Formats: sequence, structure tokens, C-alpha cells
Amino acid sequence: MIHIENLRYRLLAIDFLSLNTGVTSVIGPNGSGKTTLLKLCAGIALPESGSILIEGTTPRAMDIGWVNEFPDRNFIFGSVVDEVASALRFRHLPPGEITQRTSECRERFGLTRLSNRAVGDLSGGEKVIVALAAALVQHPAILILDECDSHLDSRCMQTSDQLIRESHIPYVIRSTQDMEAAAESDCVVFLEDGRVRHSGRPEQVFAGLCDTPFYPLSWRWR
Amino acid sequence: MTRLVLDEVVAIREGWRLAAQGTFDEGVHLISGDVGSGKSTLALLMAGLLPATSGSVKWEQCSSQMVSFQFPECHITGTTVREECESWGLDPSTILPSTGLSGKGDADPFCLSRGELKRLHLACVLARPYDLLILDEPFSSLDAREKLRTCNILSGRSRGITILFTHEQAILPHVGHIWEIRKGRLEYCGSPPEGLRNWQHAPPLIRKLIAEGKTPQNISPDALKEAACRT
Repeated sequence: MIHIENLRYRLLAIDFLSLNTGVTSVIGPNGSGKTTLLKLCAGIALPESGSILIEGTTPRAMDIGWVNEFPDRNFIFGSVVDEVASALRFRHLPPGEITQRTSECRERFGLTRLSNRAVGDLSGGEKVIVALAAALVQHPAILILDECDSHLDSRCMQTSDQLIRESHIPYVIRSTQDMEAAAESDCVVFLEDGRVRHSGRPEQVFAGLCDTPFYPLSWRWR
Repeated sequence: MTRLVLDEVVAIREGWRLAAQGTFDEGVHLISGDVGSGKSTLALLMAGLLPATSGSVKWEQCSSQMVSFQFPECHITGTTVREECESWGLDPSTILPSTGLSGKGDADPFCLSRGELKRLHLACVLARPYDLLILDEPFSSLDAREKLRTCNILSGRSRGITILFTHEQAILPHVGHIWEIRKGRLEYCGSPPEGLRNWQHAPPLIRKLIAEGKTPQNISPDALKEAACRT
């Protein structure tokens, strides 16, 4: 369980929020605090006050995979092969193990053909897939995805979702503007002006949004 | 009448190839395709920002054009939100209220959320008419309310050519023509509603309606609603 209590950071103010294992979608208007919440959960930023505990541990003590909403901000190396291997190299794993794991990972994500391409030359969607592979190669306990689906087509999203499911990561927290995808999550959190307006199962959250454009289009006619 | 003609255009790089042939008349054209299929490359070719390996791009009676890149951060030249508006020759006091950024005129554009940055950029792009308007993933990062608002603006463009490259799956504008990139080639699917049946990248909701015998007249939310409620 992830427990958030009395959290304050810039515009974000969350008195209490708990998230179970599974996929949580964070939704809300532009500028509502989604990225801020995700950065705090990832330990990229520290709360001004309050706490975030994941299974009783602070985010910075956890292995966390992170994909930025700005695709180019994910990369620190020039080539696809180096980028996917980076997390394992930083851990000083044996070279043979790094080669094997990154090779398997590139194959699973369909990146073999892009291995020697410069990341700067990739399309937006390809950059996201590389960033996702680099985040998953280390088998993190939590995967945090900041609107990375905004760069992917529907087939690519299905493939990515499948790969994430197969990775059996206990916690996946993602922000998204795709309400159809959010409706498929285990839990949804709706943020507005830095506050949690709704949280819970998709049916519960979207029931409070039925008069807004955030209500999934497909649900209007089921 | 403004017209864009792709005459046997081919772009090639390292084992990757894109071929495009077609004429784009005035109206709204939507182009879809898989990740890495060449949507952004085609946008650059159409804008004349990338030379074709072979073939030619012709602009007929086109005196003004604008291309909006997929990544709004690539367009930023101002150090504040207000300066960014002014860099487009626009008055911030008219642009910012429509973006919900009135209180952030002095903010660094790179400190905005990605959705806010996209809203700012699109507001600057859509503030002027262009004979040729090319939008690469305009709905990416926009929230549902802003997607709807942007769709209404695009649907209301009465003249010129508007070309949308998008993989948006739910909230889309009223379009006149649908194209898609399949196996390295730009293919014309047709105009809605007939063209929807040829559209391999059609969003799941549209595919579902077609399968139920309720082919929508177009792809805007209102058209989908009308089809879904049809008995």
C-alpha cells in the first residue's frame, strides 16, 4: 500500500490518499498537479511537509522506474543500446548480465532494429518506448509514467500495457489524458487545482465526472 | 484555391522508406499511422522543411503556411509566457485568457506543465489564418476539455488546408478527408462516412460502431454520439 498523508508541495495539498497495488491512473486538467504528484511519488522531488510511504518506505529508498512527459528529458546517453543498459551499468552489474538483460529487453520491446540509432533521431513514440524499456530493464518495484501514452498510437499502447502487465510490477502509477485507458485502471485519482477531488475505482470516480468531458466517451453509450 | 500536391515523394534513411502521392485540397485532412511510420517526417516534407529523397512537393496558391511541431518546447523563443505570445506578434492580453494562463504571464514557459505549454503554443498558432496549417499531434498532452475546444476551432476553419497528424483515439474534429500511412506508403482512405470503413487505424470506438452497423457520419464526438444513439 502507498500512503500519502498531509502532503504539501507548491500547489499540491493532499491530506490523505492510499493506493493499492495495481495500475493507478492520475487524471485531471492541465496544470492540476499530476506531474508534481508523480515526481513526489518517484522521489524526484521531496515534500515540503507530510509524507509518502510505499510499503512503509520512502520513495528514494525504492527502485523506481520513471518515464518523463517530455520524451527528450528521459535520455542521458546518445544511442538506444546505451540508454536501455544505463540503469544496469549504474549498478555495476557484470557486463555479461547487462548484455543479456538489455538484449532481451530490446527484443521484447521491438527495439532491436533501433539499437544503434541515435535517440535524438527517433520519433516521439519511439523515444517513449526506449524510455519505457530503460525503466523496466531494472525490474523496479514501482513504475511511474507521466503521460507517456500521449505519444503512442493505440496499437503501441496495447503492446506497452501488455509488456507492463507481464513485468508483474506491484505498483504502476501513470498520468494520462486518455480517459478510455484510465477507465481500464484498477484505481483512478482525479486532481484539480492541486487537490484530490475523486479517488477510487473507475466507476466511482467517473460517476462524479459524468457531466464533464473527462467522462470516457465509450461509457456514455454502453 | 490552395492546393498541396505530393508528386511521387519518397524519403529514405537507413533501411526506412516513406512514399507519398496525393493532392490535398482545402478542408481538414487527418493522417494517422503507427509509431515510427513517418508522420512527423511527412509533416516536415509537406512544410518544405525537409527535402525529399526524390519526387516533389508543390504548393499552389499558398501564400501563408504554418507547421506546429509535435513537441511544443521546440517552438519556444520567449523567456516568459508573455514574451512568447509577443514573439508571435500577438497581444498576451487576448491570448492568455483563452489558455487559462492569465496569471502566469511572467512565468518561464519551461516551468509550465506540458499540457499548459501545448495550450499556449496552440493558442498562438491558431490565432491567425493560414492557407496551409500543418499540426503534428496537436491533441497530445491536452486535457479533455482543451481537446474539445481545439476540435471546435479546427472544425470551424472555413478556408485553407488543415492537415492533422494524430493518434488521438477519442476526441477528434469534424474532418473532410482521412489518410493513413501503411507499410511505408501514404494511402487515402476517403471522406467520412465511406472512408471510415477503409481506415485501418480507426479508433476502437469507431470500429465498434461500424461493426454494429452504425457507421458515424464523421468522427467528431457529436457525430459518434448520433451514431451510437441511432436505433
